[in-house]
Amino acid sequence: MIDEKLYEEFRDIGRDIFLTGLTSSHGGNMSVRVGDKIIIKRRGAQFGRLKPTDFVKTRFQGKDSGIVRASTELIVHRAIYEKTSALAIIHAHPRTAITLSLSRDEIIPIDNEGSYFFRKIPVVTVELASGSTELAEAVSEALRGYKIVMQRGHGCFAVGQTLEEAYHWVSALEEVCDIILEASLLGEEMIEYRKHSESYEKW
Amino acid sequence: MAGWNGKILTIDLTNQTHEICPLDMEIARQFIGGRGLGVRLLWDLVGPDVEPLSPENALIFTTGPITGSGSQTSNRFNVSSKSPLTGTILHANSGGWWGMQFKRTGYDALIVRGKAKAPVIIEITAQGVEIKDADQLWGTGVFETTQALGQDRNNRNVLCIGPAGENLVRIASIMNDKERALARGGPGAVMGSKMLKAIVVEGDQKNKPADQDLFKFMLYETGKLLKASPLTSQALPEFGTAVVMNVINEIGALPTRNFQQSQFDQAEKISGEEITDTILVKNQACWACPISCTRITKTKSDKQGEGPEYESAWAFGAQCGIDDLDTITEANFLCNDMGLDTISMGNTIGCAMELTEKGLMEAELDFGQADKLLDLIHDTAHRRGIGAEMAEGSYRMAEKFGAPELSMSVKKLEMPAYDPRGMQGQGLVFATGNRGACHEEGNMLGPEVLALPRLIDRFATQGKAGIVSVHQDSAAVIDSLIYCKFANLAVAEEFFARALSAVTGEHFTADDLMMVGERIWTLERLFNIREGFTKADDTLPDRMLSEPVPDGPSEGCTVKLAPMLEEYYAFRGWDENGVPRSEKLKELSLEFAIEAEDD
Amino acid sequence: MTTIKLYANLRNLAGSKELLSITGKSLRDVLIELEKQFPALAGVILENGVLRQHNVISINGHHATDLNTPVIEDDMIAIFPPIAGGWS
Repeated sequence: MIDEKLYEEFRDIGRDIFLTGLTSSHGGNMSVRVGDKIIIKRRGAQFGRLKPTDFVKTRFQGKDSGIVRASTELIVHRAIYEKTSALAIIHAHPRTAITLSLSRDEIIPIDNEGSYFFRKIPVVTVELASGSTELAEAVSEALRGYKIVMQRGHGCFAVGQTLEEAYHWVSALEEVCDIILEASLLGEEMIEYRKHSESYEKW
Repeated sequence: MAGWNGKILTIDLTNQTHEICPLDMEIARQFIGGRGLGVRLLWDLVGPDVEPLSPENALIFTTGPITGSGSQTSNRFNVSSKSPLTGTILHANSGGWWGMQFKRTGYDALIVRGKAKAPVIIEITAQGVEIKDADQLWGTGVFETTQALGQDRNNRNVLCIGPAGENLVRIASIMNDKERALARGGPGAVMGSKMLKAIVVEGDQKNKPADQDLFKFMLYETGKLLKASPLTSQALPEFGTAVVMNVINEIGALPTRNFQQSQFDQAEKISGEEITDTILVKNQACWACPISCTRITKTKSDKQGEGPEYESAWAFGAQCGIDDLDTITEANFLCNDMGLDTISMGNTIGCAMELTEKGLMEAELDFGQADKLLDLIHDTAHRRGIGAEMAEGSYRMAEKFGAPELSMSVKKLEMPAYDPRGMQGQGLVFATGNRGACHEEGNMLGPEVLALPRLIDRFATQGKAGIVSVHQDSAAVIDSLIYCKFANLAVAEEFFARALSAVTGEHFTADDLMMVGERIWTLERLFNIREGFTKADDTLPDRMLSEPVPDGPSEGCTVKLAPMLEEYYAFRGWDENGVPRSEKLKELSLEFAIEAEDD
Repeated sequence: MTTIKLYANLRNLAGSKELLSITGKSLRDVLIELEKQFPALAGVILENGVLRQHNVISINGHHATDLNTPVIEDDMIAIFPPIAGGWS
C-alpha cells in the first residue's frame, strides 16, 4: 500500500490521461521516485481506474521481487531515474503524437503555447520497442536534455518533479500535435508569427 | 577558449606577491565556476587544521563562464572560504557590477591567502595587480570607502569590508558596489583577518560567446519568457522580494519574536506593498538584468539607499516584534555601511530580546523596541557592550548565557524568514544545508507556498526528500554558472544549459548541469565531514522539533525531521549516517575525496 | 459575508486595500461575485471559470485550489496574484 495522497495523485492523473484519450485502457505507465525506491504502476492495471493495490514499490538500484509485478517498462524508468533528475515519469500513447513521429525525427510546434513550453520534441527510434535496454539507453539519454521525448511509433516519455508536471507535458504535447495535424489537413500556408522560430530545431 | 578566461590569480598578502596559474579545464567542466569552482579550489587549500580567522584560511572569489556574457542576470559572483561563524564551507554570492568587472580583468578566480602586516587594498586593472597601503581607510564605513576608491558603476568597481569585518565580527559581510552583499557565514571577518580592506577591479576583456547565433537565439527566448512570467515582469519589479511577507504570514510560517510564534499581526506594515506605498523611490536593476527587483528607498529622515529585502524586513521586523518600517529600513542601510549580514544581525537581536525577556541576560532590551536597533548594530560592528556578545553570533551568545537552545540556528548559522513548522520541506532544507540554516540552498518557498512549479502539501513529509535534493542541486549549479535564482523563476535549467553551450561552444544538457550540481553539493558535504560534522549536526533547534506552533494555520505543528532525513540520505545515496557512499563518489568523479571518508 | 483580503497589484486593480465582504457559498461563488463588484479584476483571478495559474489563494491560511471548496461566514480568504519568490 502506498501513501494515500500519492495514490490520489496517481488515480486522478491516470483517470485524466485515459479520459482525454492519451492512452488506451491498459496502456502506458507512471512512476515516482521516493527515497531510494521507485513506485510504479503494476503490469496489467487499468490507467483510468487505478486502485491502491495497483502499485509496486521496487528498489531504485539492483533487483528485487518488485520486478515480477511491475510494469514492463520498469527498466526504462530505472534508467531515467539514474540518468536524470526526474522525480516522476509518465509514459503514454498520445495518438496524434505517435502519428507524427512516424514521419519525422523531431516535432516542432507551430502553436504559441507549444513554442513557449517546448520549441522541439525529439523522436528516438529503437528496434525492440518495449522494455529493452536499448530503449532505456536511448530514452534516458534524450531526457537529459528535454522534458518530453517521443519514441517512434510507440509513445512519449515525460518527466517532472511531480506527476502533475509530467502530465502537463504529455497533455500539452498532444495539443501541439493535434494543431500540426489539423494545419496540415487544412493545407493553407502558415503565416509565421514567431521571431527566431527557424532556430527551434537547434533547441 | 570561450566563457572561461582560463586563468587563476593567487595573491599572498604575507609576502605581498602574486602569481597567475592556468585554470584546469577538466575541473572547469566538472565544477563549471562560481560556487563549484570555489569549493573545488578550497578543498585542496584549506583542511581541518586551518582556523577560519588565521592567515592560512583562503578567501576565493570566483565567476562562471556565463558571467559578463550579457546573458540575462550574468552579473553575479561568488566567494568561498571556511566560515568563522559555523566552521563549515562558506559560499556566498552577490549581484551588482563587481563580478562582471572582475571577469573583465581576465581571471576566473582570485585566491587571497596570508595576512598583510598593515591594512591594504588590492587593485586589479588592465595594467596589472597592485597591493596598496590602506591605513587611512581602516575604520571607515563601506559607503565612504566605496566612494573614496573611485566606484564608477560600469567601469571601476569596489568590493570592501566595513568596521564589522575589521573587528572580526563573526556575522560580518563583504559588500560590493556599495550596497550589494556577500553576507552569510561571516566572509567579512575572514577578509578583515587578512587586513584586506578592499579589492578594486577595472578590466577591459570581453566575454564573447563562441556560438553567436545560438547565443542570440537564447537571449531572445530567455527574454521572452522573463517577460511572460508575471513574477519576473510585474511582481518583482513592482513590489520587490518583500511582497512575499504577507503570504508567508497568511499561511502561518512567518517566524515572530525569535520563532516563538508563526504569525506577526503587523506583517502588513513591513510588507512589499507597504514599501511600495510609503518609502519606495524607484526600482533598480543589476548589470544585464531585465527583472529590476532592487528597491531604492528613502526614509523620513531623508536617508536613501537600497532595500529592505524580504529577509532584512523580517529580521528587524517580525523577528524582533517591530513594525516601524522606517527604522527597519535605516537598520538595513546601517548594516550595509558597517558590513553586516542583515539576517544574522536581526535574528541575533531577536535572540537577545528573548534571553532578556527570560531573565537570562541583563540588557535594556525588549521585543518591539525599534529605537534600540541602530545602536545595537553600531555596537555589534564595534564589539561594544552587548554588541560584543552579538558579534559572536546568536549561538555563542545564547550558549554563554546558559540557553543555546534559544538560538534559532543550524550549525550556528541563523535561520532565515521561514518557520519550518509551517513548511516541512523547508525544515529539511535548513537541517541539511551545507552552510547551515539557509534558504538559498534549495528554497522550498516555490513548491510549498507559491505553487512554483506546482503546489505540494507543505504539511506532508513523504516525498519531500526528492524535491529538496533536486532543488539543492539546481541551486548549486545556478550559483556556479552563475545566474540569479530569480531568472530560474521564469526559465528552467534547460535554458541555462543551452546558453552555456552557446557561450562556451561546448555541449551541455540540463542534466549535465544537474549532475554538476549534485557533484558540488556532495563535495561541500565531504568538506564538512572532513571538518568533523556528522549526522547529529543535521538537525533543527529544539523549538522547531518539539514546541508546537501556538496558533494560526500551522497550529500544533512541529517539524517531523527524522523520517524526512532518513528518506533524504537514502535518496542521495548516502549511508544511514549521512556519509556519501563510495559508489556515489565514483559516479560523481569525486574519487579524490575518498580518502576523507577513510580518515 | 466572507472576508476577502487582496494583496500586491490586486489592490490597485480593485482600487482598495481594505478588507472586503463578499457573499458566496463556495470559493467559485465568492470569486465570481468579487469580479462583479470590481470589474477590473475580471480575467485576473478567474479565466473562463477556471483559476488562473500561479494565483495563490488561502482560506484561513490553508491553500485552496478547488473552486468547489465551501465557504462559510467566518472564513478569511486571502488572494495573492502571481508573486515574487522572496529570496533575500
